[in-house]
Amino acid sequence: PPAPLQRPPSLCILADSKEISSGAEVISCLKALHGMKVQVCSLGSGDYVVSNRLAVERMFLSELLSPASRTKVTQRIQCLQSTFERVCVIVEKDRAKAGETSRICQRTQCCDGVLAALLQAGVRILFSSCQEESAALLKDLALLEQRKNAAICVPTEVEGHKREVLNFYLTIPNLSYPAALNLCHHFGSLKELTNSSPVEIAAGAQVSMQKAEQIFHYLHYGFDLHMLP
Amino acid sequence: PVTAGSIVVPYGHAIGNEKWRGSEMAQRLQGKIRLIFEDGLGLVDFHLSSRTCILYISEADLVAGDEFKRRLVRFRNASSLRGIVIVEKTQISNQYFMAVQKLVALELGMVLLPVSNQGEASQLITQLVSFCVRELSRERSSNPFLRKRCPQPAEAAVVRTVQQIPGVGKTKALLLLQRFGSIHQLCNASVKELELVVGQTAAQQIHRF
Repeated sequence: PPAPLQRPPSLCILADSKEISSGAEVISCLKALHGMKVQVCSLGSGDYVVSNRLAVERMFLSELLSPASRTKVTQRIQCLQSTFERVCVIVEKDRAKAGETSRICQRTQCCDGVLAALLQAGVRILFSSCQEESAALLKDLALLEQRKNAAICVPTEVEGHKREVLNFYLTIPNLSYPAALNLCHHFGSLKELTNSSPVEIAAGAQVSMQKAEQIFHYLHYGFDLHMLP
Repeated sequence: PVTAGSIVVPYGHAIGNEKWRGSEMAQRLQGKIRLIFEDGLGLVDFHLSSRTCILYISEADLVAGDEFKRRLVRFRNASSLRGIVIVEKTQISNQYFMAVQKLVALELGMVLLPVSNQGEASQLITQLVSFCVRELSRERSSNPFLRKRCPQPAEAAVVRTVQQIPGVGKTKALLLLQRFGSIHQLCNASVKELELVVGQTAAQQIHRF
């Protein structure tokens, strides 16, 4: 058992590298205001990962309102759904540009349609009016996930050989970044992982049994040169 | 009184609480969906299907104080229905929104959707009803977020994965996979076996990895 006086480790959130430019205030609020550890990495899909199973996509209200961006929104969410057990969307109000008087935002049928579809698919939706509020929501989500024992507990910075192994794991289809990190820290070598059963993989990567079986099948997948495109 | 049990909602209908009769929302809804009014729905404002219902919080409720919170908690404790909370987010009630969202979405685990007036709410409810109808009619595939993506052949991905091993490019990756068949077998290969496919240096690099 851990020493009783030990301070709980500060909560960790993974942020995608593109958020450095588009969500700088979110990241600085998380660090300065809420005292969280923010690790910037290339997530591929999703903007933030707050636990082993929950990914958060930050989306602007304007994207939701216009039918033109509907396919793009759909693709982004589908991609997350195939990788993460739980998906949450934070709908953020667009920042008013300088010199712009408050735009009249007409709520569109498209917007309601997307919302209804997301709800039916079990995607959690939160609303925020600025980057600061988005940061507060991310912190609350991370706390909630920590209470449910899903927080990211392994070191998020890896270097040298471990980095190479992590990159190897990240190419496994539909494997989330935290799951790859967990694999990296849990298994001493690649050989150990490939000789593990799905049950051991599920425990090591902190993923569902179904996902573990997918990984297991991928590692044992019989390669056929003729199937290459 | 709390009605906690599910109510049978006829196909393509919605059941509204008697108190909404004659309201702006009811009038707007009636053109688009078939709305039936019923007494004694208790805490619920609208039933969209036998599993989904709506609790409406008006601007006045928000300003008036904590009564609506008690109502939500009572609903959550009494019922296993999927509750969607629609809240009027206006210039006046905006200041309360974040706190309400924290309670409803994060603590109670229910769905919260803001609207700015009853007109918007009716449009939103119309969309929700149409999705409930589709769910019943097994047209689930019309929802892009529920559609299963067709599985892609793993070959290309496997090659990309093997290429992550230091010293292995596309050519060596293909040679290795042709010889060993899977990542599992590749990882269990001895240096000797690897040397037969790639050079000595690369074989040792792979084995060390």
